[in-house]
Amino acid sequence: MMQIVFNSFFSVLLMLPAVTLLCRRSQRMRSLPSMLLLVALLAGTLVAAVSFWQGNGLALDLSWAVPFPFVITVDRLSALFLLLICAVGAPVTLFSTSYIERHYSAAKADWLWRLLPLFLLSMALVVTASTAFAFLCGWELMTLFTAGLILIDGDSEGRRHNIFIYLLMMHAGAAAVIASFFLFLPHASALDYTSMRAAAAVMPAGLRTAIFLLSFVGFGTKAGVVPFHLWLPKAHPIAPSPVSALMSAVMLKTAIYGFVRFTFDFLGGGPAWWGYLVLLVGAATGLLGILYALTEHDMKRLLAYSSVENIGIIYLALGAALVFMANNAPAWAAAALVAALLHALNHALFKSLLFLGAGAISDVTHTIDIELMGGLLKRMRVTGTLFLIGCCAIIGLPLLNGFVSEWMIFRSFIAASELPGLSCAVILPLMAGVLALIGGIAVAVFAKLYGVAFLGRARSLQAEQATEVQKSMQAAMALLAAACLMIGILPGLVVTPMTVLASELLHSPALPEAALSVTRALPLIAACVAGLIVALASFRRIKRITATWACGLPALTSRMQYSSAAFSKPLRRVFARVYKAERTVDVQYTHQPYFAKSIVYRSVRTTSFEKSLYRPGVDAIVNMAQRLRKLQTGNMQVYLLYIFLALIALLIWMRFA
Amino acid sequence: MNLAIDLMQAFLLIAVAPLVSGVVARCKARVQNRRGASLWRPYAELLKLFCKEDLVPDTASALFRFAPAILFAATVTAAAFIPVLHPAALFGVSGDIIFLVYLLAIGRFFLMLGAMDGGSSFGGMGASREALVSALAEAPLLLALISVAILTHTVSVSGIVTTTLQQNPFHLSAVYAFALGALVLVALAEAGRIPVDNPATHLELTMIHEAMVLEYSGPSLALIEWASAIKLTLIMALLIGLFAPWGMATNASITVLLFAPLLFFFKLVVLAATIAIIECSMAKLRMYLVPDFLGMASALAILAVSFTALMR
Repeated sequence: MMQIVFNSFFSVLLMLPAVTLLCRRSQRMRSLPSMLLLVALLAGTLVAAVSFWQGNGLALDLSWAVPFPFVITVDRLSALFLLLICAVGAPVTLFSTSYIERHYSAAKADWLWRLLPLFLLSMALVVTASTAFAFLCGWELMTLFTAGLILIDGDSEGRRHNIFIYLLMMHAGAAAVIASFFLFLPHASALDYTSMRAAAAVMPAGLRTAIFLLSFVGFGTKAGVVPFHLWLPKAHPIAPSPVSALMSAVMLKTAIYGFVRFTFDFLGGGPAWWGYLVLLVGAATGLLGILYALTEHDMKRLLAYSSVENIGIIYLALGAALVFMANNAPAWAAAALVAALLHALNHALFKSLLFLGAGAISDVTHTIDIELMGGLLKRMRVTGTLFLIGCCAIIGLPLLNGFVSEWMIFRSFIAASELPGLSCAVILPLMAGVLALIGGIAVAVFAKLYGVAFLGRARSLQAEQATEVQKSMQAAMALLAAACLMIGILPGLVVTPMTVLASELLHSPALPEAALSVTRALPLIAACVAGLIVALASFRRIKRITATWACGLPALTSRMQYSSAAFSKPLRRVFARVYKAERTVDVQYTHQPYFAKSIVYRSVRTTSFEKSLYRPGVDAIVNMAQRLRKLQTGNMQVYLLYIFLALIALLIWMRFA
Repeated sequence: MNLAIDLMQAFLLIAVAPLVSGVVARCKARVQNRRGASLWRPYAELLKLFCKEDLVPDTASALFRFAPAILFAATVTAAAFIPVLHPAALFGVSGDIIFLVYLLAIGRFFLMLGAMDGGSSFGGMGASREALVSALAEAPLLLALISVAILTHTVSVSGIVTTTLQQNPFHLSAVYAFALGALVLVALAEAGRIPVDNPATHLELTMIHEAMVLEYSGPSLALIEWASAIKLTLIMALLIGLFAPWGMATNASITVLLFAPLLFFFKLVVLAATIAIIECSMAKLRMYLVPDFLGMASALAILAVSFTALMR
């Protein structure tokens, strides 16, 4: 039964582009593709949920259709990520039904409805493939389909440049992933997961390290870890909002899946320095991601940088798991792995909620600049409240899902103090400080985002005229917010099967009791807080509406409010070394030095990575290409000479080889 | 019986909180050679505010009125984590240090949002500065608590207190010294006291907490003020519980139960007097020296955590 639903899920996603073509002519059939996609995703959610909770494997062998082994298998790990894709995909599709109709012409909408299912299909393929070729097909298609989806929104010079960087970095990453697959070949009879797992056990240590490093770089590029995060804030914000939601919430998680599959499933952990490397990169990613988010006032760029931060948090947990494994503490390694997987799921839920919220706001205000919003909560009560839930979840406030996973990461860091080794007993607990710093700055970032965009006075005419969005958009966001609340209060629902998954994956004993104590404490404390809030809020207070205190001035204007830049200034000043802002003050004088005609002040944050890390490499490649150009003279005789020389060289080589 | 004591100590912490503010104010007055107001003045003020009407700015949304309730609820729940009279608390066993820190963060986040809802620059400035202080204070706070947790092999608040209570008071570890130093510095920042913030004024140079609550009045303001008092008291009670729990009732006999509150009040008064002396003998730091102040707390906390591993 499950197998049939599963097969039809894949085939529906595959057929949808054709259905879109057929339905194009008829006005009545227009909504058919979206409805079909929604139904398919709900069915996929069901299948994934059942096999995640029960752990029964599903398999689909398509080797007959393609010239290489192409098998799809759903084990628990795949099921979790398939669940993530479908459970986020369904609300996003629901949101898109009205969003796409309102924003795009019929032709563009058709393209969106063609590419969206294929994008979802490619991600589903990545997480369920069990042969290298199937995986790589999905991996490559995922990149191409997103590039296509981004292009639907326009192809101006700047956008093409961003997409170029996106494609370039994705292919560099894909090359590393392909290489790490092929490195299995000397020891594996075939590139299916079972033989790869067996091969990893008999491999020399050097080869294992090479595979680990290549997969770390390859998947890290997709996940957007520092210093490979460059494409992320360029590509995510320029996509249509539902696609941004899918890219940030779901596509990044396929990279987490790949890394977990390689490092924990195939290789089964490694020496402790692997873990420290992952921890270091995770810490840098988390801190830089949130610090860059702090400076943004473009809502979608801010959210994209916050995705970088959350990927950093997930890598922190994965690094801790690797260190625990290297120190023979498999139970705690499983706990840290559960924390990482839970945070991946949580991030998918609240980040898609926030991106959809950004889409809803841009739907009514036609801007994503938070300095032009303000006072939206009064005008968009439902969207505003749901967005607030997303903000509270992402900064890890208790009663919402973000807290549970952050708590588990903190807990596993503290547990490392019991390990015998000195370095891990010092470094891991200190990482809790890094996580706390990231969390503290995240509070500032999201207080800024919400405060500037939703509270206070409207900062522009569009914001003043904003009205609530359509019901289907609200429903989509409400579904995601409800999921955040549910996991936040009853985390056991998803944590229990995850613990089974982690124990299976790491062959570890049951998780330590201490690692899960929060799941038991939460419902009671949640009830206490919620009860108190309700009691206090229902306590009647006589309310009188007055003007805001204006220090005696007649009235305040929206320009007297704190702006986004002003809000983040103190923290930006503290971390000025990170930003390396280039400030120029250009003063034109009428009379030196007192009477200025005009003063132009510019402050540009340079992305030091682009400048000092990528620029030299790019320059070198361009330089080499320039030199190689001399070989291409365009003269026929010279090319004949090349052929002749090549022939001679080959003959000589054949003679002596 | 235990449940009764748990409930009683939580209520005690909540009820006694305004008195603690009164005691700090009175100690300050005495140090400054003034007579000072009555110890009970904070109660009178709360009562007065609760009887007044709530003035709401015309720009504000529903969040403006919800924020104080959420702040109060989260702070009261956090108070139920703290062992006061005996080494257990309502949520003490299941509730741990991480939970405690994040519960306090709920209130802080909503207070910042409430401040920004007023639509004036006062609220925004207060919220912005609060964001700075809390972003930098969270790491040393958690690290210092973690170092004590590592030393006692448990993260639950009452577990830590129980273990410390069983120790020989003279069996001191360097970790405690560093952790106490870090926590005192963070406590001053978290509770918004001099040298980080001045609770007596909302004017230009200090403008953190008092600037955030400038638009609030009546019952909403009362809830905020009460919650801040509870926060100060609970941080003091936490310091007492972590570093000097001796005298807590280990069994439920009547004499012990009478003795425990008295001893607790004595310790509270000592801490209040310390705060008063600090506040009278120091000037408020410039805003951009606060990161250095918290950096010092972070350094102490990092040392505390490192020493837990080095000294085992």
